[in-house]
Amino acid sequence: MLLLDYQNVLIESLLRDRFNGGASANIDQVVSDFDGVTFHISTPESKTKILVSLRIKCYQELVQYGAQSVLEREYGPYIVSPESGYDFSVQVDLEDLPADQEGKDDLVRRISLLKRNAMAAPFEQAFDEFHQLSEEASKYTSESAPQGIAEGGETRAIHYREEEAIYVKASHDRVTVIFSTIFREETDRIFGKVFLQEFVDARRRAIQNAPQVLFRNEPPLELQGFPGVSTSTNGEVGYITFVLFPRHLSKQRRDEVISHIQTFRDYFHYHIKASKAFIHSRMRKRTADFLQVLRRARPEAEEKERKTASGRTFKVQA
Amino acid sequence: MASQTPAVVMDNGTGYSKLGFAGNDSPSFVFPTAIATKGPTGGSGGSGSGRPAIANKPSYLTGGAGPGGHLSGKRGTEDLDFFIGDEALAAAAGSGYGINYPIRHGQIDNWDLMERFWSNSIFKYLRVEPEDHHFLLTEPPLNPPENREATAEIMFESFNVAGLYIAVQAVLALAASWTSSKVQDRSLTGTVIDSGAGVTHVIPVAEGYVIGSSIKSVPIAGRDITQFVQSLLRERGEPDSSLQTAERIKEEYCYVCPDIVKEFARFDRESDDRFKKHTVNYANGKTTTVDVGYERFLAPEIFFNPEIYSSDFLTPLPTIVDNVIQTSPIDVRRGLYKNIVLSGGSTLYKDFGRRLQRDIRHLVDARIKASEARSGGAKSGGLEVQVISHKRQRHGPWFGGSLLGQTPEFKSYCHTKAEYDEIGPSIVRRFALLGGPGST
Repeated sequence: MLLLDYQNVLIESLLRDRFNGGASANIDQVVSDFDGVTFHISTPESKTKILVSLRIKCYQELVQYGAQSVLEREYGPYIVSPESGYDFSVQVDLEDLPADQEGKDDLVRRISLLKRNAMAAPFEQAFDEFHQLSEEASKYTSESAPQGIAEGGETRAIHYREEEAIYVKASHDRVTVIFSTIFREETDRIFGKVFLQEFVDARRRAIQNAPQVLFRNEPPLELQGFPGVSTSTNGEVGYITFVLFPRHLSKQRRDEVISHIQTFRDYFHYHIKASKAFIHSRMRKRTADFLQVLRRARPEAEEKERKTASGRTFKVQA
Repeated sequence: MASQTPAVVMDNGTGYSKLGFAGNDSPSFVFPTAIATKGPTGGSGGSGSGRPAIANKPSYLTGGAGPGGHLSGKRGTEDLDFFIGDEALAAAAGSGYGINYPIRHGQIDNWDLMERFWSNSIFKYLRVEPEDHHFLLTEPPLNPPENREATAEIMFESFNVAGLYIAVQAVLALAASWTSSKVQDRSLTGTVIDSGAGVTHVIPVAEGYVIGSSIKSVPIAGRDITQFVQSLLRERGEPDSSLQTAERIKEEYCYVCPDIVKEFARFDRESDDRFKKHTVNYANGKTTTVDVGYERFLAPEIFFNPEIYSSDFLTPLPTIVDNVIQTSPIDVRRGLYKNIVLSGGSTLYKDFGRRLQRDIRHLVDARIKASEARSGGAKSGGLEVQVISHKRQRHGPWFGGSLLGQTPEFKSYCHTKAEYDEIGPSIVRRFALLGGPGST
């Protein structure tokens, strides 16, 4: 498994089972997803009405960046008023499903992507803004462009974790996505550095179409003076910048790009952990080899001085 | 952040792994503890049976790396090319992948594979960032402390879990029985009868501590019942006597009867509603009907009269339970008789608990009577025998973990990453007893 899934596997398998005539029963499960997202899947009214609720830390920010319209577009008629303690709820009635298999699968897919879609709003908004800005910019030459267009739009901040945030900023020729990362663990930080260096170098070596990746320990210029960005330069917080070029922002690519970039942090951490597991397995193998060598090096049973019962010894004649 | 997220409960058994979040009443995922890797099957046997086999080589001689260890020579992304759970079985059915079972006889056998199994369980199935969650893992009784340490090393060093608690399955099964209305005081003293697919264990627990010297295992469990049903089907010459069909019949129709002779008579008298028909649906759309007869009550009967199935193992389960309790310290025996808790899939037969309770009570009463007679006139105050069946038996240990993992004080019982860094892996040799006296 190189890439993480975007959908929640539990929601997917559960709904698929129910939609295809699995045994009906009451469900009441609280499950977690990455980044402190909590889902609550339940059947509050009757066994056929499945309510899926989502709680996400930065929901207020997402709404501010247009999450409501994205979610309405995706879930339209299934939206119900949010369950208390949660931010967003959809409810499906098993007796009122799309008739064909394709429609059912599509619905399962869409609901299992609930978190992804909620988080997608600021990206979609930024991508739209990019298209708008690039259209405007095409009317001017680079010298005569008015201030607003040359600088680009506002910076959208999503504080999706307690100490980490994503910043998205559109301008007329690119969209910049900046992740702030923090490592609690020294080892992880070192692994992280190696990984990030690879990301930065990948473009130079083979993959020309990849977005440009930059890594630095102080806030990049885009975030200078942005409220809430720590200005300390003790190297604790790292900033990873992805520069998405127009070719990544085309209509066909857009959904895929959003999904990818959202899971970046989890992908990053998953691979740090997987590398540790790999290194551990090599260490175990190496230890086993050393042990084998040690066992082989055991001296042959050496000649001990043997005594008779009365305490005399036999002298070995040379 | 770890303060708000639910704890992750993982119960990795020989046959199946149960994964989920504390506070739920059933695990989110239940799948075989199997991992499919590129190349041929590693390790010998690997049938996933919980039956004690002849140990060929202790794991410290192979360094726990298993016979393969090929991975160390690879420099690509081969270490990520694997599947776990049901996907592993599917992948191994094709070509190119070999199936491995990293847990054998309840204990982790291959740490390399287990580390990857956990990695995939956490990131692909549970989808959690381990740094944000506390983890509750389970271990079999008599798990060597070295295994605990190795588990802690992986959990803390690879995954940086926020906190870790390792609990004994039998103790969790006791905690799960608290949901039964028969249990008044939430004590952690009792006898656990844990019967899964491969082996049945009878484990006495006193105040949350397993009495290791008295544990007995019975080589009769779910798989044997299935085989017994299958052999009965074969003898009768049913049109379908595959293992799958036998398993379905076992799960759907079997129950425990109070007395075989009477049950035979009843079957002959009321044959219409006692004999059943089982319809087998094949993948290609065909169906066959299989008659279901005496195996309905005969199959679970092998626990109580093993001689009808096996010629080597002849002690009935009630006698074993009685022996286990009799070999335990005298001051806890009363508590052990009073709280006999069932756990595992093979204890789910209807009236299993009732029959067990009756048989154990007969043994106990006979003994009391004999000693009364010997003492010449002294009267015994009697001894209460109670077998507890409850709704969460199937995933008993997992449910107990879920129950204890959601309590507010659970996190204070965990060892944290900081403590681990300070003291080292030996820290997990000792855990404060969760759910014991002093906690709610």
